[in-house]
Amino acid sequence: MEDLKIGVYVCNCGTNIAKVVDCDATIESASRLPGVAIARPYKYMCSNPGQEMIVADIREHGLNRVVVAACSPRMHEPTFRKALQQAGVNPYFLEMANIREQCSWVHEDGAVATEKAKALVKAAVLRVARHEPLERRSVDMCPDLLVIGGGIAGMTAALDLADAGSKIYLVERADHLGGNLARVDLTAPYLDSARDMLTDRMTRVVEHPNISLLLNSEVERLEGFVGNFQATIATKARNGNAADQVATVDVGSVVVCTGYKEFDASRITHYGYGKLPNVITSFEFEKMLREGGVETKEGKAPQYVAIIHCVGSRNLEFHAYCSRVCCMTALKYAHEVKSAVPGAYVSDIYIDMHAFGKGHEDFYRRSSEVKTLFLMYAKDDYPVIRRADAKDDCEMLIEVNESLSGETIEIPADMVILMVGMEARDDWADVAHLVNISGDKDGWFIESHPKLDPVATTTDGIYIAGACQAPKDIPDSVAQARAAAARILGRIAKGKLEIDAVFAEVDEDKCSGCRMCNELCPYTAIEFDAEKKRSHIISALCKACGACVAACPSGAIAARHFTDAQIFAQIEGVLA
Amino acid sequence: MADKKLQIAIYWGAACGGCDVSILDTNEFILDVDALCDVRLWPLAADGKYKDVEAMADGELDVTIMHGAVRNSENEHMAKLLRQKSKIFVAYGSCAYMGGIPGLANLVPREEIFARAYLDNPSIEPGNRTVPLSETTVNGHDLEIPKFYDRVYKLDQVVDVDYYVPGCPPQPDQCKAAILALVGALTGTAEAPPKGAVVGAFDRALCDDCQRTKTEKKIKRFYRPWQIMQDPDTCLMEQGILCAGSATRSGCGVRCPNSGIPCRGCYGPAPNVLDQGAKLLSAVSSIIDSKDPQEIDQILEGLPDFTSFANRYGVPASLLQRSHRQ
Amino acid sequence: MTFEPKIVGFLCNWCSYTGADLAGTSRIHYAANVRIIRVMCSARIDPTFVLKALHDGADGVLICGCHPGDCHYSEGNYKMMRRYPLLKALLADYGIEKDRVRLEWVSASEGQRFADIVNDMTERVRALGPSSIKTALATDMAER
Repeated sequence: MEDLKIGVYVCNCGTNIAKVVDCDATIESASRLPGVAIARPYKYMCSNPGQEMIVADIREHGLNRVVVAACSPRMHEPTFRKALQQAGVNPYFLEMANIREQCSWVHEDGAVATEKAKALVKAAVLRVARHEPLERRSVDMCPDLLVIGGGIAGMTAALDLADAGSKIYLVERADHLGGNLARVDLTAPYLDSARDMLTDRMTRVVEHPNISLLLNSEVERLEGFVGNFQATIATKARNGNAADQVATVDVGSVVVCTGYKEFDASRITHYGYGKLPNVITSFEFEKMLREGGVETKEGKAPQYVAIIHCVGSRNLEFHAYCSRVCCMTALKYAHEVKSAVPGAYVSDIYIDMHAFGKGHEDFYRRSSEVKTLFLMYAKDDYPVIRRADAKDDCEMLIEVNESLSGETIEIPADMVILMVGMEARDDWADVAHLVNISGDKDGWFIESHPKLDPVATTTDGIYIAGACQAPKDIPDSVAQARAAAARILGRIAKGKLEIDAVFAEVDEDKCSGCRMCNELCPYTAIEFDAEKKRSHIISALCKACGACVAACPSGAIAARHFTDAQIFAQIEGVLA
Repeated sequence: MADKKLQIAIYWGAACGGCDVSILDTNEFILDVDALCDVRLWPLAADGKYKDVEAMADGELDVTIMHGAVRNSENEHMAKLLRQKSKIFVAYGSCAYMGGIPGLANLVPREEIFARAYLDNPSIEPGNRTVPLSETTVNGHDLEIPKFYDRVYKLDQVVDVDYYVPGCPPQPDQCKAAILALVGALTGTAEAPPKGAVVGAFDRALCDDCQRTKTEKKIKRFYRPWQIMQDPDTCLMEQGILCAGSATRSGCGVRCPNSGIPCRGCYGPAPNVLDQGAKLLSAVSSIIDSKDPQEIDQILEGLPDFTSFANRYGVPASLLQRSHRQ
Repeated sequence: MTFEPKIVGFLCNWCSYTGADLAGTSRIHYAANVRIIRVMCSARIDPTFVLKALHDGADGVLICGCHPGDCHYSEGNYKMMRRYPLLKALLADYGIEKDRVRLEWVSASEGQRFADIVNDMTERVRALGPSSIKTALATDMAER
């Protein structure tokens, strides 16, 4: 190895560091450390002149390692790496000592802070001496796409990317497209027909030359990593005796759009669902609407229709979350009942009216104007439904402790519509396992960042869209699907994928094939080569957490840029 | 072969004698050793006096094979003396290499060891309070026995060691290979291993040689070997039986796991591992199948006295080396 | 002069190190005894690091990771959670006082909590006095 020539730069950060830490003493101490060729202070290392100083010193003095003692590496590590690169030195030959956030800003006693700064600089100097040059690598990005789920989100993502030229494999478990939206009549708040919305898209999907539509199909296995997945898809034979067809396709990205299922209303016993014939769920009512007739089980037009909100939602016993679409759907029903049975009375029994979306508040106001009776009940103080007596002119009576008036009100009903909420599909955990993502406590898939990255997941190349991520209405599902498509297009446009230079590596000469590490990787980056009897890390999948490195009982796995030797050097440095 | 026979000594420190037996276990090869070497000192097989060694010139011995740890002043004295008289000094067996079973005593203070051995032991004569002293006077004569140190040392904590042969004891084949390597180096027929090398062992961990089937590991419960009907074809660790194989150098021929006994780690850590016990600890606890601290504690109850297992052959070689109880 | 313990802190990059940075940006003052070494995840912390720090003269070792359930790598901190009780048992067997090594969960928003932990640990280790490990091992070698 060439001789070490380390440059140490201590930033004053104006007075942020210098007013507490004695920068000159820190420089003086650093200059005596082994391998240090130059040690200098500067007012603002991150400024252009500060960076230029590093570049100039590298060129003039042949520095091959740099330590910058300044702010947190979380702030300016990329800045200084760039400076090294500009000067022709591998950017990973940099180490920062955090003497601002973790020293001058948190300690008052200058002498103590200076001693700590010296120790942190020493640790950085000892560490950087053990740094290795690292190179980012790139792999090809396959432009093709696997979409799991043929509902509105899945079709939208598929069409956007198919139009852009990607080959799409759209896998749908059912024998038709449309998902839950195909079970809906009109949509709130503009009362557009769901069927019209879907028909256009379904036709385009079926006819699109770039889309391979696989109905009656499921993804059996997904292997590989971003840009380079292999998906195994099984298609059920039409004829019961024939074998399923299994195909393996190469894709670069996966969009999971597996949607939701409705809450099972029979789990709430006090609404009598399943016992009282005219207590029905919102989806059963949609079916009625799509078939063109609103009538009771007895075939009569209902005079009194009651709609109960939050069935299974906003309730600690079932689901604590709001299902987001039911309030507006309930208002839609008021309109649809009135147009199907003119003169019918509609009562809307709710907890809070959630009308947050575009046009929703207007829709709420319009619904109030069509003479809907709104009754508010308190969470956990459920309305009670009972059969009416023969003398009453209705089927059922509903007792509501009305919160706004504070009175107990009894209202008649011939038909009760339960606004069942959304819940994760029963097999969400299988799907999560299949594509290696996680679900939250309710089974909704977890996005990469709840605010800033709501379509990506913790597994690179796997995206989520629609209600499988959380309850969502149509515009949000479509927006998320198109956002996922845009994210994928961005990567396809680059053609190549950059793989971080920092990842874990198995030294096959040391690996004994004990397989202790195999289960530890949250990204399934560790694969076992049964023939060689060695574990192997797919660097593109590795996120460099180091769990396997620490756990490897024979020291066969090394964490690039966080090697044992580097950390040992730091330990020695901070304790010196 | 060179005309002059190689001059060798075989000596022991704090040891059980098993290492000597392992040399004899090379069977007829011992005759080749005899043909190649003059055995100048080997208490197990031949008479030998300190004064004979003291009389040797420095470097007169080609090789000393020393097994056993350093527990007392005699061990240290002889280690130093033989080092001085030898061109090559070999730490042979787990005790010499890492401290071995005697090294486990480093987890206990000397006073407790003495109390246990001479005062509180149920097998001693009632009322007998005799505790050995290093110096005593009997009938006007000063008597001396070696001084019992506060702790056990591995050999290279006391003298400079050229090569290490691990194992408790080293397997006869490995013993043979190591001796042949040394003979080759000394007679110029083979390249000498680099100083400090571990000879008579491989670079990978034991699992490399273990024929049991290994899959991904998740452990819900640990078992002592006698607590479970063992599947003879499946990795012991996967069955919840604590096995040190993954953290231990291979070379022993997988004798223990092949006999249904988990590896106890006598061949020492894999190359470049600083602390065998810490590595085993890290691996074994990482694969516990629980995210609940209470359940984890409960599962860990299945590993009683883990420390003595993890460092069974190497407390003096571990980073902390001994108990630091105040 | 009061004894100033040297404590090595191993902090995960995403939660605890960021939390320690937040203590800085919030100008929360705390004891200067902890020297932080950044790792990407608490799962990277090999028990060897802790033993090595003690061997090299640390009076205490502080390990911080994301709160359970909040790991950047989804489950890394659980690996540390599993290692810790066994490591504590091993340290006890080696006669190391329990307050010298400590595992805490510190999120990126818990600057104050980080400062409180450092202060509390510093006081506890100060009360224990200097670790004798490094000098004891040196003495072992010098005189028998």
